[in-house]
Amino acid sequence: MRRSSISRQLTQGLALVGLVGTLLLFLFVAIEYGMTFSTFFDREALPRVIHELSEHVLMPVLVLIVPMTLAARWVIRRSLAPLADAAERVDAAPEMARGFRIETGQLPLEAVPFADSVNALLARLDRAAGDQEAFAADVAHELRTPLTLLALEMDRLDPDTAAPLRRDIAHMRRLVDQLMLLAQIDADNAAQMPQTPIDLAELAADVAGRLAPLAVSQDRLIAVEGKAAQCVRGRREALAAALRNLIENALRVTPAGGTVTLRVGPDATIAVCDEGEGLSREQLDQLVRRHRRGDHASVDGAGLGLAIVARIMAAHGGSVTAEPEHRVVRLQFAPDTK
Amino acid sequence: MRVLIIEDNARLARLTAEGLQRRGLSCDIAQTLALASDSLDVALFDLLILDLGMPDGDGLEWLRAERRRRDLPPALILTARDALEDRVAGLDAGGDDYVVKPFDLDELAARVRALLRRPGPRAPAILEVGALSFDPGSRMAAVAGNALELSRREANLLELLMRRAGTVVRREAIEDALYSFDETVTPNAVEAVVSRLRRRLAEGGAADMLHTVRGVGYLLQDPA
Repeated sequence: MRRSSISRQLTQGLALVGLVGTLLLFLFVAIEYGMTFSTFFDREALPRVIHELSEHVLMPVLVLIVPMTLAARWVIRRSLAPLADAAERVDAAPEMARGFRIETGQLPLEAVPFADSVNALLARLDRAAGDQEAFAADVAHELRTPLTLLALEMDRLDPDTAAPLRRDIAHMRRLVDQLMLLAQIDADNAAQMPQTPIDLAELAADVAGRLAPLAVSQDRLIAVEGKAAQCVRGRREALAAALRNLIENALRVTPAGGTVTLRVGPDATIAVCDEGEGLSREQLDQLVRRHRRGDHASVDGAGLGLAIVARIMAAHGGSVTAEPEHRVVRLQFAPDTK
Repeated sequence: MRVLIIEDNARLARLTAEGLQRRGLSCDIAQTLALASDSLDVALFDLLILDLGMPDGDGLEWLRAERRRRDLPPALILTARDALEDRVAGLDAGGDDYVVKPFDLDELAARVRALLRRPGPRAPAILEVGALSFDPGSRMAAVAGNALELSRREANLLELLMRRAGTVVRREAIEDALYSFDETVTPNAVEAVVSRLRRRLAEGGAADMLHTVRGVGYLLQDPA
């Protein structure tokens, strides 16, 4: 179906009205002044005829139709402008914003029913997304006690039998933790939690310090470089979880004896450098999308982990990028401008 | 070392107690907060393991109230609660550390031991990490019974690292602990003491215990 523009239709309509009006006027004027076709070929009568026609036909048409067309186009453009503004605001809405609605206050009356139904649809989607998140959170929550019990029962088995089972449980624990974290991020996003200033160097040192004992027990080291204070605004626990995820991934791909290095700055970034194969940009893109995993990603749920990192960064107006040539995964933050 | 496990899930409490007992800690169980208060009335404990969601009240409220009423041993908070901020709230309310369910017994035991090493009236007389031991009273250190020759500063550093064994001690914390306010600390002073201590440990046969976490601090950890 060909799409039609209101302005265009109106112009066409007015042009038609103008044309018909002109013809009718011409007819009336002709009858009024007793003109016939022969008059037009009468050299003496012609100037008078042209004068009459321009005075009674051309002038009224020009005076009425042209300003009307211009005015109508102007009115239409003006009354539709709020729709364009609303579209801009919809486009600018953050990716995971909840409770976003089109403001109907500025819209012309005729557009309000449409906007209302779109808003009702948005409300239904919000509810559905909320239910979905709550469900995921509940599932993860309910899994915790049975998983704990399982791990505790396992402790009674002889170590050789238990070792592979314990690895499986550790994997499940990590998944449950990540699901909980994801639910938490979504909930925080929906509630628009207040953000606090966070020193990236301090954050990196803190998370590195917490993970170092585990790394050392697996014969790997963690180091932090760059001391310059870089401040961003955000949720500290969420950002710490994002960084922890990246470091855990880096530790997994770094061979024994290697070091995972965190570089803070010089701008608002934290780079996590591993000594493994490194991720290509395509692999990262895939990993960031949920449920997909890189070829060398282990069974430890790195896929879900990176998806969570990407969500956390997006919620902070930042991003996660890979520089495989440098074996770096980088958290890039929007600088704190306040 | 006696631990009171405050946890309403009977099976979870029993299995946790058994697991910790296998690791040399004797445990009692209280399945309600009221029973926990009763246990505290009649016995001395070295550590509490507290689950937050108890049937007869909020664990954090109870902890806050008990802290006001009496001298409580350190509390390790065990929580299935997932709100990230709850962890912080738990520490604010007087919890000394937290472990999130589902936890691993080895992890729990490691946290329990770390809390038990903290200085306090009931802290053990002699600190032990793997083969390494240190007597805070006499300032004597030994590896598998063989005494180590340590300077005052090296001994202070070793005590600090041993009390927080298994966790990274931040460089700034070491600086604060080893040097008084009016002492001027040269940029490499901490590194120098650490490397001297590391040499002493290696000579004594306890190499591979003191690790550098570059840019953060130092970590003393039992290699086993």
